[in-house]
Amino acid sequence: MAEVVLERVNKIYPNGYHAIHDLDLDIKDGEFLVLVGPSGCGKSTALRMVAGLEEISGGEMRIGPTLVNDVHPKDRDIAMVFQNYALYPHMTVADNIGFALKLAKIPKAEIEERVGKAAAILDLTEQLPKKPGQLSGGQRQRVAMGRAIVRQPKAFLMDEPLSNLDAKLRVQMRAEIAALQRDLGVTTIYVTHDQVEAMTMGDRVCVLKRGFLQQVDTPQNLYDSPDNVFVAGFIGSPSMNLMRLTLGGTADNMSVEIEGQTLKIDPQVAQAKPALAGFLGREVVVGIRPEDMEDAEIATDAPGDRKLRTHCTLIEALGSELIVHFPLAVESFSIMDAEFEGEDAVEQAKDEQGRTIYVGRFSPRSRARIGSELEVVVDTARFHFFDPESGNAIRG
Amino acid sequence: MSAVTVDQLNDGGRQSAEDQARAAELKRLERRDGWRRRIPILPALIYTILVTQIPFLFTLFYSLTDWRIDTPDPRQFIWFENYGSLSGDTFFLDSAWVSVQMTVMAVLGSLIVGTGLAILLDRKFFGQGFVRTLLITPFLVMPVVAGLMWKLQMFNSTFGIIGWVMNQLGLEPVEFATRFPLASVVVVLIWQWSPFMMLIVLAGLQGQDQSVLEAARVDGATSWGTFRQITLPQLRPFLELGTLLGAIYLIQVYDHIEVIVGGQPGARNLPFYIAGRSIGGGNRFGLSSAYSIVVVLASIIIANIGLRVLSNLLEDDS
Repeated sequence: MAEVVLERVNKIYPNGYHAIHDLDLDIKDGEFLVLVGPSGCGKSTALRMVAGLEEISGGEMRIGPTLVNDVHPKDRDIAMVFQNYALYPHMTVADNIGFALKLAKIPKAEIEERVGKAAAILDLTEQLPKKPGQLSGGQRQRVAMGRAIVRQPKAFLMDEPLSNLDAKLRVQMRAEIAALQRDLGVTTIYVTHDQVEAMTMGDRVCVLKRGFLQQVDTPQNLYDSPDNVFVAGFIGSPSMNLMRLTLGGTADNMSVEIEGQTLKIDPQVAQAKPALAGFLGREVVVGIRPEDMEDAEIATDAPGDRKLRTHCTLIEALGSELIVHFPLAVESFSIMDAEFEGEDAVEQAKDEQGRTIYVGRFSPRSRARIGSELEVVVDTARFHFFDPESGNAIRG
Repeated sequence: MSAVTVDQLNDGGRQSAEDQARAAELKRLERRDGWRRRIPILPALIYTILVTQIPFLFTLFYSLTDWRIDTPDPRQFIWFENYGSLSGDTFFLDSAWVSVQMTVMAVLGSLIVGTGLAILLDRKFFGQGFVRTLLITPFLVMPVVAGLMWKLQMFNSTFGIIGWVMNQLGLEPVEFATRFPLASVVVVLIWQWSPFMMLIVLAGLQGQDQSVLEAARVDGATSWGTFRQITLPQLRPFLELGTLLGAIYLIQVYDHIEVIVGGQPGARNLPFYIAGRSIGGGNRFGLSSAYSIVVVLASIIIANIGLRVLSNLLEDDS
C-alpha cells in the first residue's frame, strides 16, 4: 500500500494529440479516488499511465517513494481490473487468479491458500475449476477482482470495471467493491464515466475534461460547490440547469429576470459571494439544481418574488419524486460542445417556440400534469453563479 | 357415465387421426424445404462426384486386376493379389517413410518460420503492408517455377548462390540437390509454405484481445512469458489448423521432387513412386491402383483423426 503522486504529468501521443495536460494528483495511502469525465477526457489514459501501459511524456509519477516514470508495469506492484475483465481464456479461474503469484515464484501451497481466500471473499470457490467462458458476466467481473486482490499490491487500478454489467448487478457490485476496498485499505484509482459510481464510491472524485483537471474534492463538495460550470453541469442527475441571465438590481438587492418575471436573489447569496457585485448589469451563468425548485402548490409559504409561471411539457414519475420539464425563454449554457465531445454533446432540448426546456425535481405530491399551467418556486438562496467568459464559479 | 367415456374415446380417436394428418403434412413440408435447400448445391455435388468418385471407382476396379499396358496379355481379374504384394515392396515402404519425413519436416519447419514472421509482422511499422505482400509472394509462385529457381539459382554448385557464398567463405561448393535430396526438397517446401502458415498465425495474433496481454504485463509477465503463457495457448487452434491444412497439401507434393531431384531414392515420396510405377514408365496400372487406394485410405483415416482432434480443441475454447 502506498500513496500515488502525479506531478505536472503530460501525455502527448506520437501523432501530436495532447491527451493529458499538467495533471497534478496526490492520492493518499488507502484512498479511493475516482476519475470521472465524458469520453475522451483522458481518464483512462491517466490510469494507464499509472499502470505503466502508456508512457509518460512529461512530469513525474511516484508510487510510494519510488519514481516510476520509466518503470515497467510488472515492476510497479500494481493490480489492474480492465473494462472487459481481460481474463486469460485458456486458464481456469484458479489459474487466472493465481497467475501473478505464479509469476512471482511464490510456493504452490501458498498460492493455493491465497487463491482460496480470495475466492472465498468473492464467493467464487465453486467456480475455481471452471474456465472464464463458462462464467456469467458478474462472475467474470469477480474473477477480475480476485486477480487484483490476491496480489496485495500497492494500488488497485480499475478501468470502468462495472460498465459491462446489467444495471442491477452494477449497483450490487458497486457496493461490494467499495466495501472490499475499505476492508483491504488498498489505494485505489477507479475510472468511470458514470457519475453515480463516482459519487457513491469515491473518497474523493477527480473531474477531467479534455485532459485538463477540473476539480478534485469529496463527492459532496463537488456537488455543493463546483469550481466551474463544467463540474456543475457534469455532476448531478438530472443535471444542473444552467441559464445565461443578466444580473439586475443593486448590490444589496440583486435579481434576475426570466420571461419578464423577476426572481429576487436571496441577500445571503450576495453576502457570501461578494465578487458577484462586480457582475451587476452583466451576463452571468446561473446554476439551479433541479431539487432547488418545487411546485408552488406544495411550497405554499414561498414569497411571490421567488416564483416563475410556465407550463409543464413532460413528467417523469419516479415514484419517490417527479422530474418535471418546463420551457423558459432563456438561453442555456452548454458545457459540452459538438466539436470536442461528439455524441456526448447533447443539445439542450427546446420546445416548438425555441424556448429551452429546464428540469425541476418536485415532490410526488405535486399535481402537475403534462400540458397544464405550472408555477415553480425557486430557492434563490441556493443559486450557483459562474463567469460566462471563464466558466469559473463566482465566489469570494 | 359410460356414454361419456365412449364419447371421449371417440373424440380421442378423431383427435389422434387429425394429429397424424397434421404430422404427415408437417413431414411433407419439411421434405419440400429440405429439397429447396439441397437443389442449389446439386450441380456442384454432381460435378464433384463425376471428377472424383467415378475415377476412384475405376481405380478400385483396376486395383483388383493385373492390368499393365506394355504387354499384349488381356487384363485379368486377380482379386487382392496386388494388395498382398504391397508389404513385400521395399520401394513402397521406403517411399512411405520419405513421405512421412518430408511432410513432418516441411509442416513443422514452415510452421516455425511462419510463426516467427507473423510475430515480426504483428506490430506497426512503416511499410508494413509492403513487407507483408513481399513475404507472401513465395506462396504465389508455381511449384515447378519454385523448384527450378532453387535448383538452378540456389543449389547449383557452379551457378548457385549457396555455392558462391561457400566459395567466398573458402569452402568447397557442394551439389546440394544430389548430396542431400530430401533436405533440399524440404527447404524449398518450407520456403513456399511459410507464408501460408504466417497468414494463419497472423490472423490468430491479430485476433488476440490486447487487454489480456496488458493484464499479463501488469501481472508481472515478461515479454517471453507473455508469449509462452498467454499468446501461444491462444494460438493453438490456429497452429492446429495450419498443421492440418499444410499436411493435407504437403503429403501430395510431386512437382518439387520431379524438378529438384528427379526421383532420387532418398527423396521419392509416395505420389512420386506411384506415378513412376504407372504413367511414369512402370506401366503397372493394376499394382499402382492398389497402392493409390491404400494411400487414399490411410490419408482419410489420418485426416479424420486430425479433424476430430481439431474440432474438439475448438469446442473446448468456445
